[in-house]
Amino acid sequence: MTHTTKIILAGEGGQGIQTIAKVITEVAAAQGMMVSYIPVFGVEQRGTPSVALIILSNEEIFYPRFDNADYAIVLQKRAVSSVESYLHNKTKIVFDSSTIGAENLPKEAIHRFGIPATQLAAEKFTPKAFNLIVAGKLSQVLNLDEDRVWQKIEKLLGKKFKTTEIREKSKQAFLFGRQFVFELKHFSKPIFQPATGKIVSKNAEKTALIDPERCKGCGICIVKCPVGALKFSDTLGVFATPVPEIDLEKCIACGNCFRFCPDGAIAVTKNKKFK
Amino acid sequence: MLNTIPKSWNSKLKPHLFCPGCGHGIAFKQLGFAIDGLGLQKEITMGVDIGCSLLAWNFLDVPTIQTHHGRTTPLLVGYKMVRPKRIVISYMGDGAAWGIGLQNIIHAAYRNNPVTVIVINNENFAMTGGQASYTTLPGTVTPTSPIGKSPELGAGFKGPELIRNVAHKEAYIARSTVANPIHLLSTLKKAILSQKENNNFALVEVLSICPTNWKTNAKASLDIAIDMEKVYPIGEVR
Amino acid sequence: MTEKLFITGNEAAVRGAVDAGAKIMFGYPITPATEILEGWIAKTVIDKNLQFLQTEDEIAAGFGVIGAVLGGAKAFSASAGIGHVLLQDPISMAENMRLPFVGIMMQRGGPSTGTVNFSQQEVNLAIHGGNGDSFRIVYSASSVDEMYSLVIKAFSAAWKYRFPTFVLGDGYLGKMKATVELKKPLKSVESKQILSESGSPTWLRNCFSSEEELNTLLQSHIADWEKNKNKIVESESFHTNDARYLVVAHGIVASAAKETILKMRSERIRIGLFRPITLNPFDGEALRTIARSAKHIFIIESAYGQLGKIAKAELAGHGIKAKISQISKPAEGFTPDEIIKEIKKHNA
Repeated sequence: MTHTTKIILAGEGGQGIQTIAKVITEVAAAQGMMVSYIPVFGVEQRGTPSVALIILSNEEIFYPRFDNADYAIVLQKRAVSSVESYLHNKTKIVFDSSTIGAENLPKEAIHRFGIPATQLAAEKFTPKAFNLIVAGKLSQVLNLDEDRVWQKIEKLLGKKFKTTEIREKSKQAFLFGRQFVFELKHFSKPIFQPATGKIVSKNAEKTALIDPERCKGCGICIVKCPVGALKFSDTLGVFATPVPEIDLEKCIACGNCFRFCPDGAIAVTKNKKFK
Repeated sequence: MLNTIPKSWNSKLKPHLFCPGCGHGIAFKQLGFAIDGLGLQKEITMGVDIGCSLLAWNFLDVPTIQTHHGRTTPLLVGYKMVRPKRIVISYMGDGAAWGIGLQNIIHAAYRNNPVTVIVINNENFAMTGGQASYTTLPGTVTPTSPIGKSPELGAGFKGPELIRNVAHKEAYIARSTVANPIHLLSTLKKAILSQKENNNFALVEVLSICPTNWKTNAKASLDIAIDMEKVYPIGEVR
Repeated sequence: MTEKLFITGNEAAVRGAVDAGAKIMFGYPITPATEILEGWIAKTVIDKNLQFLQTEDEIAAGFGVIGAVLGGAKAFSASAGIGHVLLQDPISMAENMRLPFVGIMMQRGGPSTGTVNFSQQEVNLAIHGGNGDSFRIVYSASSVDEMYSLVIKAFSAAWKYRFPTFVLGDGYLGKMKATVELKKPLKSVESKQILSESGSPTWLRNCFSSEEELNTLLQSHIADWEKNKNKIVESESFHTNDARYLVVAHGIVASAAKETILKMRSERIRIGLFRPITLNPFDGEALRTIARSAKHIFIIESAYGQLGKIAKAELAGHGIKAKISQISKPAEGFTPDEIIKEIKKHNA
């Protein structure tokens, strides 16, 4: 009997979607399954959703793309639209409930499985380990051998585990993901969503404006601030990366952050009285 | 309300599609201020290439044409001949300028075509994944130089210096950097005015940063750009 | 208002461009098209409204043409052989962006640098040389007169329908002299700025991030092509009313065939010539109408089946009973007597 599983995996560019896909498919292939994997890509390196299409089967796979997914894994709000056309009434949709509100899922997404990976990573491990939690859970759902999967993760991501501590935390995150029980009815609140509007801070002398709809969390403003008035906050910007916050008391309104910001997401000015 | 972007930016492109920390963003910031400061928004026509600069096809509130790789300059040369009052900016990366488009830049400079060429140099072919380019330094590991770029492939291509040799003596040829936005702003203004006031060719190479392909954080990226000045000196090329 | 001149095909092409309202030419010297560049440059000396640029290569020439049409000026290039190959880089962009790119291509022997003289081997290149689905208008000139009139038509078609448009000639046509009566057209199609400078900014690109976006664009090109191709298509039927034998040929080979037809008709042989004037779009309907009553069709060209492939595709599936013979002589011309010999050989 033919057993074929069609999976679409979608998230923000830079979230490690293709890495998760590589881990899953290379282990599945080593375990003897017929596997197909193709990334869906456009010109941009970042800035558009990263999507992977995976097929696992016990029979020969001819074509890497498909219309209807058995599993849709969505890890960022902006990526929901990338999976929409692949949903049908049997699709199981696995979503990061800490970044996507269940109410933002398309109505075709009947079978919902929540995993607040971003929140779990930030609270229990390291923020960057969020995709390891997802990879862990996914590998469990697809019956992939735990040890093989971890070995593959080490092989593909080993360079990023710069200290033993990071490596340990990463492994814990992966194992945690494997054991995680999906949220089925009551989902976490999507508190890790990109902010909208503008963040204005004002004191007697200066006014600062930060635009999370433009900020990509590159950190250049923090590096170029001569007085250390900027640091990353908990607010997320448009690519779900942290947006800086400003300490107006330290700030000297030198204009460096404004000059250097590649996205035009920050400006500070001296209030009229003090100019 | 505080303005965080130049007036000549397309404010509806939010966010723009360059990577986090991309040097193009910093270059466009200063280019935008240059255009605003000179009051030339209504006179500018922009050409962009097919590399990462392609993402700027709708970046500025000016007529813009995205071309084939390396072909922005010859296109704008032809355009300027029939629209001589327009100020044309030929914007591309180091891959486009110093390789496939080099022939066209050399000849535009040689003929003193009144075009302002801006070359964003991040020492790699970024859009396609970071392959070695002509300005990649020897020893650098890239997808096409997995054991480090061979010194036999050149010590670092100095484009503006080459162009200086064929350009009209009054053409403005210079190099600046995203690590010094104030210098970048004044350099870009001079390059635009070289065309507008003197009807001369102008070329500015801008040392830039590419955190995505360099796999560096903000500080390391800017440090590399500053380090590059040892090989690619900043300032006017006389 | 007509004028009688004894000029070469290349000179006629220059006159055509001038009378069509062309304002600027970009080109590179290459035999047998060089006289078009030189002739145009001579015009710019007399008329200061005309411009030219001798570029560093044909790629720069083609992009110069694109820049000029974006700026609203009628612009063109002329080339041949490998120059025609290099022009495919800019022509592909013009195809994607529906730009009124006009090119005069004087075929020479190929592939590679072949010969400088003559061939009909650039038909595939002229129609299909890009990396897309080939929405270009291609005319084939068969006389010095047509080197004038088709160049004018090319500018009209390009600006009216917004497809890159080409006039295919060849080295014989370019260099031969004949007396021609130039009929200047009464009205020409206006050019306009494509990179518009007022109102909301024009942002033009040819690269898209998703397959769907590009497909949508191409569907609109297809719709325009299908809607207009019957207005663009042109052909000539020479002594075909009662023809049992039909020659299919284009360009100067068709002109040689005309002499053949007249000779054979004087021997009471019922033979005619179908000459496509547009190679793309191709007047398949006219061909089929004539072919229905033919016994034997002879496709004759100085290439290996480039015209033949088009003609056969147009004839297939329509119940045409005629025998079809393909007579190919890549890179070499046919005299009228040679054509008689070939026809008799294939009809034996």
